[in-house]
Amino acid sequence: MNFKRAFAVTKRVFKNVKNDKRTLGLMLFAPILVMLVFGVAFSGDISDVNVIIVNNDQGLETPNGTISLSKDIISNLNTTVMTMRYMDNEKSAITLVENGEEYAVIIFPKNFTTNAYSGFNNSQKSSNTYITLKGDDTIPNIKNTIQGDIISGITTTMEDKGVKSSVSLLDEPIYGKDAKFIDFFVPGVMAFAAFLLTTLLTLLTFVSEKTSGTLERLLSTPISESEIVTGYAIAFGIIGTIQAGFLLTIAILIFDIMVIGNVLLAFLVVALLAIVSQALGILLSSLAKKESQAIQFIPFIILPTFLLSGIFWPIQAIPSWIRPFSYLIPPTYAVNAARNVFLKGWGLDKIWPDVMILIIFAAIFLILAVLYLKKRTD
Amino acid sequence: MDGEDEFAVFTSNLIKKLGNFIAVNNLNLKVKRGEIYGLLGPNGAGKTTTIKLLCNLTKPNGGKGHLLGKKFSDNTIASNIGYMPQETALYDGLTVYQNILFFGEVYGLSSKKIRNRSDELLKFINLEKWRDELVENLSGGMKHRLSLACTLIHEPKLLFLDEPTVGVDPELKMSFWNYFYKLKSMNTTILITTHYMEEAHHCDRVGFMKDGGLITEGSPTELLHQTNTDSLEDAFIKFSLGR
Repeated sequence: MNFKRAFAVTKRVFKNVKNDKRTLGLMLFAPILVMLVFGVAFSGDISDVNVIIVNNDQGLETPNGTISLSKDIISNLNTTVMTMRYMDNEKSAITLVENGEEYAVIIFPKNFTTNAYSGFNNSQKSSNTYITLKGDDTIPNIKNTIQGDIISGITTTMEDKGVKSSVSLLDEPIYGKDAKFIDFFVPGVMAFAAFLLTTLLTLLTFVSEKTSGTLERLLSTPISESEIVTGYAIAFGIIGTIQAGFLLTIAILIFDIMVIGNVLLAFLVVALLAIVSQALGILLSSLAKKESQAIQFIPFIILPTFLLSGIFWPIQAIPSWIRPFSYLIPPTYAVNAARNVFLKGWGLDKIWPDVMILIIFAAIFLILAVLYLKKRTD
Repeated sequence: MDGEDEFAVFTSNLIKKLGNFIAVNNLNLKVKRGEIYGLLGPNGAGKTTTIKLLCNLTKPNGGKGHLLGKKFSDNTIASNIGYMPQETALYDGLTVYQNILFFGEVYGLSSKKIRNRSDELLKFINLEKWRDELVENLSGGMKHRLSLACTLIHEPKLLFLDEPTVGVDPELKMSFWNYFYKLKSMNTTILITTHYMEEAHHCDRVGFMKDGGLITEGSPTELLHQTNTDSLEDAFIKFSLGR
């Protein structure tokens, strides 16, 4: 072994990196990003879940005044986990959950306090001392957290007040009855796969068009920049949809996932995301002169999507200060829309805000991609 | 008008900077319609950048230019020009025929026209047997020939050929030039760059380029006569050194 020759190779590698400022920047920045995003995303607990309280409990009249166990339980609920507001009309509250504006309704029955205390006085369990939770059970983490928090609120209150009666929590899901984690997971993975594969494929294809000279040859022909981008958009829209089809087939045949809504609508969402992704791929290609540089973008594409777009855990579990970034990532909307179609059976009439945002993303990215090509960078 | 219509290529004080480097420096180039014009010069003289400017692949920092009587930034002339880049610039994942077909479609040719033209071109570049072979399996020379076929598919009136004979064997080189003569006889204008001085003899006129500008131009015979030399290489050196 001649170490002098080995060190010559080592020095050559470092000189290469030093001369390639982009690689140098990515080498330094990528680990910082990985640590920050993982650290931040994993450190969060579920919070800011919008919940409506419908408190029909009339309390219990005593010589010392009216006592209300429901109010005590509510005061013991975790306000970080749940953002609560009050409504009187149960039906209206449920409609808000059905429309996706609120996450759950917690309903206290009329004689809640009376029944709880009478159960205690009669030394028997009262079968109608219950709190009803009507919510969206499609995201298991949120469902479990809310249920856990309500049970903890009940236990604390009962211990504080010395009430030994049993208060039960009735879970009556509006959406996602019997939903498993895989049901929650698959729509997200479909969107993630389409986004990741399409962005990378377009990025590498476009960088290869640049390095091989085909892009230049193409730009010297009558084809316009918008025609090139449109051609790519159609191709990758179709590829994205086919990929989604394969994923869904496997999910249904092997994992028996829950599909309540229109599968074609979910495909439309994924195809739209693929179009957004291909335009993003073209834009990212403007930052890379060769394939080896393009590959370095992979962590920057995967990590934010993986951690922030609600694929593996809900956005409510991401620390609130970093949550706005989730809404800057296109897959967030596709994941949400696909999940709502699959697990809630929503149609275009309800998922249109997500679809609209994806269309806006697509329009912006496509226009920017065309402008980038028109710029004729040297 | 400065006579733009008379010329297939007309540039006036064309400038292109790449960072601090001036790649094309006040270039005044006039190529007559139907002539074969050779741009000669060493590597880095600005030949390729000039062609890229003319093909609207990069924007100039100054000056103006016309192709076939229209500004070179005018998109409507694209269908009348053919550009063969220095790199082979082909889709490796497509077959020989699929590459020709793609560029034919991009130029808006009918399927029948593409079929007829591709048969003719494949015969000319001697790749008929390789019609359905993936480009990635071709040799460098074969790719070069296919690249030329893709450039010629739409029978352009003005051809920009950037070092078209690099890596091409002498026999094929000769057939290339015979084909260029044939195109010239059909009134096609050809602007060709090369650093092979001996090839310049095939051109009607040649322009010597150095440091982004033309140092002289004329027919090969004129240039040899002016410098009293036997080869264009010696003539270039004399002009380059200020005679």
